[in-house]
Amino acid sequence: MNTGPLAVVNAMPPVTRRVRAYFAPVDRVNRVPTVFDPAVNGGFDLDSPPAPWIDLGWIEDFSRKSLSKISGLATGSPAVTEFQVKQTVDASVSFRFKTWSKLSMALAAGSQHMNLLAPASGAAANGSGAKAAAATGLAASGSTATLLVMSSTAGFAPGCIVAVDGDYAGQTGFVGSGVSAAYVQSAAAVGSDPDYIRRVTFNVARVSTVTATELQLAQPLPAGVPANTMRVQPMVGFVDREGGSFFQEWSALFLMPGEQGERILFHYPRLQAIAGAAEAAITLNAPIERIALSAAFRALPVTDANDGEQAVCFRSFLPSAMTLV
Amino acid sequence: MQNAKDTFYITLRNRLASVSPDRTMTLRGVVRPGILVEEAEAPAAQLPLDVFVLRWTKLGTDGQMPSTLVAMTCEIHYATSGTRDNMGLDRGRALEAMDDELLRMLSPASVAKMNYTQNPATQMGTSIFWSQPVFTAEATTRERVGRVATVEVFTFQEQGEL
Repeated sequence: MNTGPLAVVNAMPPVTRRVRAYFAPVDRVNRVPTVFDPAVNGGFDLDSPPAPWIDLGWIEDFSRKSLSKISGLATGSPAVTEFQVKQTVDASVSFRFKTWSKLSMALAAGSQHMNLLAPASGAAANGSGAKAAAATGLAASGSTATLLVMSSTAGFAPGCIVAVDGDYAGQTGFVGSGVSAAYVQSAAAVGSDPDYIRRVTFNVARVSTVTATELQLAQPLPAGVPANTMRVQPMVGFVDREGGSFFQEWSALFLMPGEQGERILFHYPRLQAIAGAAEAAITLNAPIERIALSAAFRALPVTDANDGEQAVCFRSFLPSAMTLV
Repeated sequence: MQNAKDTFYITLRNRLASVSPDRTMTLRGVVRPGILVEEAEAPAAQLPLDVFVLRWTKLGTDGQMPSTLVAMTCEIHYATSGTRDNMGLDRGRALEAMDDELLRMLSPASVAKMNYTQNPATQMGTSIFWSQPVFTAEATTRERVGRVATVEVFTFQEQGEL
């Protein structure tokens, strides 16, 4: 066994070509974000982030800014700055999602994000979707995150998208399984609509095959194994709007993989949108354009358990092997 | 990428048979629409007249997405010397007819991607799409007049696709 000194290399500037984004839900009821510990999970497989982080893929035009203000404390005559004080702690981050999905669109929406439930016959037109066709219940047992055992599969076809969540029953506060998708101020505000939670839920998936009693899903439900009290509705897509008073809140992790194996990680425990829905058009070959989702967030504070200080962002650096530090 | 190239060619071939059924050629003893893929035929010193010849050139990729976006450049070469009945004096009109046929073949500018390595061919999960053609100036070489239209063909690589 060789116990001699290992060959080391001088420190090099990190070289990277892209940024990858991961998001995780914040427990809005208890105000608990998802904390990423780089000492524990910093070297995770990029394609398999630790639970409950969700891979949102490579992003573009990543930009983060410190908006913290530092001012001087001058004393004496003539006044001389003797100390510095942190006047405010603030930060923002912005980027573009390359692909559109329930989660990326919701994150970029700036407000509440809704599902376009398949409409009931003859329902009145509405900008965020008409009243929905009746939901179908789950069987008492047997469902998993990727298989829904149904009381009936009438109205479902292979390739359809489904929303899976409980009936709205008059509760107020945050609603939605797995992710707090909306805040209900009163039953009257949502018309006591039993489908309201399914209209906003993040618990959606694409159906791959349909049998007489089962829906096989092409992707796992974000909230995991559904409760048998949940019901299922087909949906056609998603909708957000310029307006609304709800702020989504997410924990975020951005990772820059270096060409020498090093990693730069930016962890924002609490992000809320600071801009409404917007898109950016990237020309492929005029007039053909790729449409990206623009997203901009303000970082909100958490308390660092190591010293009780408040912080809005954590930047970590994991050096490449055998570089001098 | 080969599925996209095959789909683009066969789409144009089928559309040509519709927009100009009389534009045919005899290749390896078979009468077929007058369009071919240069890299799929025997090398020739000079491109044939009154036929559309597809030549694949540049390739670009964007791999920073869940599905890689591929951009392939296709040059469509065509030339004519007019008709014997008119002693070639109608070669300008004949070239204009080919311009018009090509524009009609390229519209609409997207189509479902097919896998032609299977029999029967199967439809895949995505569509290919392409840019508007960019036409070069008319080029004259003795009795031949012709031009090149360049189209960029885009495709998303599907899982397991070559």
